[in-house]
Amino acid sequence: MADKAILYDASKCTACRGCQVMCKQWNENDENIPTVENGVDATNWGSYENPKDLSPSTWLKMRFTEVEENGQVRWLFTRQACMHCTDAACVKVCPNGSLYHNELGFVAYNKDTCTGCGYCIDACPFSIPRSNRNLLTGIAKMDKCTACTSQGFNRIEATSADVEMMTESWRDVLAPACVKTCPPKALQYGDRNTLIAEGKVRVQYLKSQGRSNANLYGENELGGLHVMYVLEDSPDVYGLPVEPKVSAAAVAWKDVIQPVGWAVGGLAIVGLGMNWLVARANINKEGK
Amino acid sequence: MTEVEKYRKPIRVLHWIHAGAFVLLFLTGLILFIPGLGFLAEDSWTRVIHRIGAAIFIIIPLIYLIVNPRSVLRGIKLAFTWNSDDIGWIQALPGYYFRGDESKMPPQGEMNTGQKLWWLIVLVFGLLFTITGLIMWFAKTSAPPGLLQGMVLIHDISFIVAGTMFLVHIYNGVFHPLFNEAWSAITGGKVSAEYAKKHHGKWYAEISKGKD
Repeated sequence: MADKAILYDASKCTACRGCQVMCKQWNENDENIPTVENGVDATNWGSYENPKDLSPSTWLKMRFTEVEENGQVRWLFTRQACMHCTDAACVKVCPNGSLYHNELGFVAYNKDTCTGCGYCIDACPFSIPRSNRNLLTGIAKMDKCTACTSQGFNRIEATSADVEMMTESWRDVLAPACVKTCPPKALQYGDRNTLIAEGKVRVQYLKSQGRSNANLYGENELGGLHVMYVLEDSPDVYGLPVEPKVSAAAVAWKDVIQPVGWAVGGLAIVGLGMNWLVARANINKEGK
Repeated sequence: MTEVEKYRKPIRVLHWIHAGAFVLLFLTGLILFIPGLGFLAEDSWTRVIHRIGAAIFIIIPLIYLIVNPRSVLRGIKLAFTWNSDDIGWIQALPGYYFRGDESKMPPQGEMNTGQKLWWLIVLVFGLLFTITGLIMWFAKTSAPPGLLQGMVLIHDISFIVAGTMFLVHIYNGVFHPLFNEAWSAITGGKVSAEYAKKHHGKWYAEISKGKD
């Protein structure tokens, strides 16, 4: 099946945060809201951005960035959630394959088999996965956006045959919850190739409107992201890594150290076995 | 047949508790190298065992250090005392290890060069395991991700070096035909005078000096 993707258009987003709410509602990720008597225990930290960070029960949030331009403030919005990379660092470092690419190209995970090691959390170039961790025992489970393909919460599970039979409006249902709810259609879901083409058209339009740094983020980054952004400015203005990479430590560990470890351990066992045969024979001979 | 004491009881107890903890750590850590065995680590429980093993691995030597600091200092000094006899030992090792040719072996002290090498690895990598492990354990949510990835890398390199030498250590202690009294030395504490003379000539001369 052709890879699917989500396209987020920052130039259309109004930061209503409907996607944040819908994400929580569909995936049943309730947040514990701290309260005081007759109210919510909250402090103003200088931004509309809320909550402050992703968490095991917040898989998607909008990031608000204020940039000064010609004495004016520009208020930029970015979506902060799993980018579903093709070269996914989390999938690479996961020791038992709990993280994997599903048939749509999204990075899904099996929470039952998650060991809680947290390697994915340290490896992610976008700093997305989160876990609740008992610091003493180390017991933990990772959580992140699955593009609404988690077992039991799969909005996209219908087979292609089902899709053929569906009317146009029903086909629209087969989209992640955030996409479905977006009022200005800043979020779209569909075939990745189609969305790349649409994103490029939009970037050309923004350039013609004077946004000379407009770009499509995610077409080629990390082998191609399955969440792509139409940005009006360079990615770093939005707080996104300009050249996201799988860290050298992750590559060295999985592609060099572990194979070398197997070779060294294997050779040692073979060598000791040979020594046992040779030394025993030689020493018995001498004894006689 | 006369016997001499090779390892005192506190040392033997320390050895076996530490060895037990290392086996726990070795097996629960090895799971992360074998994706097919990854199901054993589900729900974090082998990682809990790894932490219990780690606590024993760290605390038991510390208790020994507090109870008998002089013995520890003497041991550490021994690990870092190398001379020309050690080089001669390494040169004569292949012939000795495979053919049992003892003619070129320089006389050895209480620890021969091989034992000293293993003891040095235990000290150095034990410390590396402890430092990197404690950071991954208690600074998991506060340390920068790059540092934590580096700790995993060092922990794994230590595992490959120390784990491989651990296999050699078990083989020498249990299977190698020349070291047939190593097992009784670390279990009952004693070796025959003949074995001591043959394998630890310098040390045997030292301990038998006063007796004649």
